[in-house]
Amino acid sequence: MSNALELPMILDLIAAPSLLEEFISRRGDALAVDAGAVQRLGAQCLQVLLAARAAWAADGQKLLLENITEEFSATLELLGATPDDLTHDLSHDAQQDGPILDNKELAA
Amino acid sequence: MEDPMAAIRETFFQECDEQLAELETGLIAMENGTAETETVNAVFRAVHSMKGGAGIFALDALVRFAHVFETALDKVRSGTLAATPAVLGVFLRAADVLADLVHAARENTSVDNARTATMVAEFDKINNDCETPSPAPAKTAPAAGSGLFEAALEEQNSAWEISFTPRAELYAKANETAIILRELRRLGEIDVRLDASCLPELSELDPEGAYLTWHIKLTSDCDEAAIRHVFEFVEDDCVLLITPPEPQGFVPGTVITGDNGFKFEFFPPPEDEEPAPEPEAAVPPPPREAPAAAKNPAVEVMAAKAESAAAVSATIRVDLDRVDRMIDLVGELVINEAMLSQRVLEAGIARASGVAMALEELEHLTREIQDSVMAIRAQPVRSVFQRMPRLVREVAAQTHKQVRLVTEGEGTEVDKTVIERIADPLTHMIRNAIDHGLESTERRIEIGKPAEGTVKLIALHRSGRIVLEVSDDGAGINRARVREKAVENGVIAADAQLSDDEIDNLIFLPGFSTAAKVSDISGRGVGMDVVRQSVAALGGRISITSRPGLGSTFTLSLPLTLAVLDGMVVSAHGHTLIIPLSAIVETLKPRAQDVFPLDHEINVLALRGGYVPMVDIANSLCYSESFIEPEQSVALLVEGEGGVRAVLLVDAIHGQRQVVIKSLEANYRAVPGIGAATVMGDGRVALILDVDAMVRNARSDAGRGAELAVTEAV
Repeated sequence: MSNALELPMILDLIAAPSLLEEFISRRGDALAVDAGAVQRLGAQCLQVLLAARAAWAADGQKLLLENITEEFSATLELLGATPDDLTHDLSHDAQQDGPILDNKELAA
Repeated sequence: MEDPMAAIRETFFQECDEQLAELETGLIAMENGTAETETVNAVFRAVHSMKGGAGIFALDALVRFAHVFETALDKVRSGTLAATPAVLGVFLRAADVLADLVHAARENTSVDNARTATMVAEFDKINNDCETPSPAPAKTAPAAGSGLFEAALEEQNSAWEISFTPRAELYAKANETAIILRELRRLGEIDVRLDASCLPELSELDPEGAYLTWHIKLTSDCDEAAIRHVFEFVEDDCVLLITPPEPQGFVPGTVITGDNGFKFEFFPPPEDEEPAPEPEAAVPPPPREAPAAAKNPAVEVMAAKAESAAAVSATIRVDLDRVDRMIDLVGELVINEAMLSQRVLEAGIARASGVAMALEELEHLTREIQDSVMAIRAQPVRSVFQRMPRLVREVAAQTHKQVRLVTEGEGTEVDKTVIERIADPLTHMIRNAIDHGLESTERRIEIGKPAEGTVKLIALHRSGRIVLEVSDDGAGINRARVREKAVENGVIAADAQLSDDEIDNLIFLPGFSTAAKVSDISGRGVGMDVVRQSVAALGGRISITSRPGLGSTFTLSLPLTLAVLDGMVVSAHGHTLIIPLSAIVETLKPRAQDVFPLDHEINVLALRGGYVPMVDIANSLCYSESFIEPEQSVALLVEGEGGVRAVLLVDAIHGQRQVVIKSLEANYRAVPGIGAATVMGDGRVALILDVDAMVRNARSDAGRGAELAVTEAV
């Protein structure tokens, strides 16, 4: 793993711009995201995480989510997402594309 | 420091007043059968908005009652409860209770809890009534439904489909989807599906934008209001679609109205869409169907929403003081402009010069500004009229009479100050019409009239004034009784000869009430004279016409505005006076042979075959001891209230101009014969004549016999 990103404790509206920058600056390489500190997750940071996952998938790079806290996974679930929606593991491509593609179909 | 919540609270109560008015109008429209589909939604929204606002201020009693009310209204909206006259009667009474609760909350006073409780009980009754006879449509709809299918339907029946697309503003206002979803989870089990299809590429993502849509399936037996409550603070900042748990889905063409007034319509699904599942298949329709159907409407929603946003921004709420300040300033501008004209004139600048021309343009502009500013204050009388149905209901209930109120001309516009001050006189007149005017129901039936009495309230514009009429189809004025009472009270001599009209007008005298018994509603003898005084204080007049057995009509005539007036500038014995243009019928030069003296000081003028009393302005205002020679004067034929005419004699007419009215009472004191004052172009104060008082004086001075002889021939 050549790159790592530790998520801040509070992922709210204010955290979203810097989070986006962090992802953009790390683009092009496999990335391990450490969610161990996260206590709060807001929808706008979720957007960044989802977009990052799509970007990493498009680049054919690995994106992993590690040390998921209970708070983080509970909020993800509440928002209708799973940790799998946020990771891109090359070995599980087929499965993971599932939910996102499903949504694309809906939009079509 | 002032409490910022106090201001918000005040705004809430102002909005409550508007919502209550809307509620009342809507319910009455429903009662009269003139309601449109939108009406019931508007009624529901009104109650719902009040409940929402009351929640913020923890006005629990209000919230609780509004909730019960709203629940019943929602049943009407969804068609499970028929809006029968009985039901609407309950709703109207409930609206009254709600108004009381709002009032109590505003004034921090207590409310009649028993009345509220009775209302709640009535609601329980109609709610129960509607539940027993009509089974849920879901169960009757599929004729050939197998047990399994029905079970599937039942199960689906309790799942609400909610589609929620926040906009960036929602987050910017520190709201959070996660919190909303958590709230929603309190209502029941939720199944959240996230739609990230609109999410852009990472490099194009605005971190503060909003790209996600949530499709939520809520399994709960809560009502729509409860769901909307969750979205209460964000509904302006999101696209929200709430689909009730109906197995058939929406029939194409169904129109749903959102809380903030937007509408969307369901369209039939495209032909090539997969057919609806066979009953045997025993599967609920694919969950995708509802959101897919919602796609099209979503576009509609946004378009409609943009529209409604435009409609909302078309009005602003402005503190009245600011408007008043502006009106004052415009008044000063008008005076200033007049002064400038005067100076230019005095400087001897030619009329065709550039300065004079520019000045003329300025004059036009000033006038236009003034008109526009006055228009800001103009309001339809609707706001006053809307209070009357409740009054009628209450007075009718107290007097055990059946009364129908008919209103006309609610859209008639008049200055806000006038609006505020006509409510009390109108209230009194309507009470009076019901309590004294209409006969008892038994009596009406006995004499072959419809059991239900009618009280009519009409507003219209007539020659620069607003005319309000309150009429009833009751017994009319009992002239014998009025006369008897007047003699009893020493108002008139026992042998006085009075015309019918004069007897009718006796009821405007202080301490006059002919009701056999004093009631709570009216008849304390502080009646019509108070009305007349308050109307006169507004520069208005009141008159009555009555036909025995057919009813009475009270006519109020008021100036449209209390701030400016078009007047004729005249002079009398060296004093400049303004005569309101609206009162002037014509001006003429009297000829000696047309003037006939009645006694040593009163003359009448022969005019086209009739006689009109003449009033020497200078003499009657005590400017001069002597009398003006009619041939030397200019005569103005004026008309007072009720079409009564007189000829006013002045020295000369100096022209016509718009003047800004300055109250004489406020700045000095009331002067008989003078209505108000104004500041002229040369900076001098000129008095504005009270034409009615002048005409009245002329008539009473001229003596009754003479008056009768000279009337109406002109």
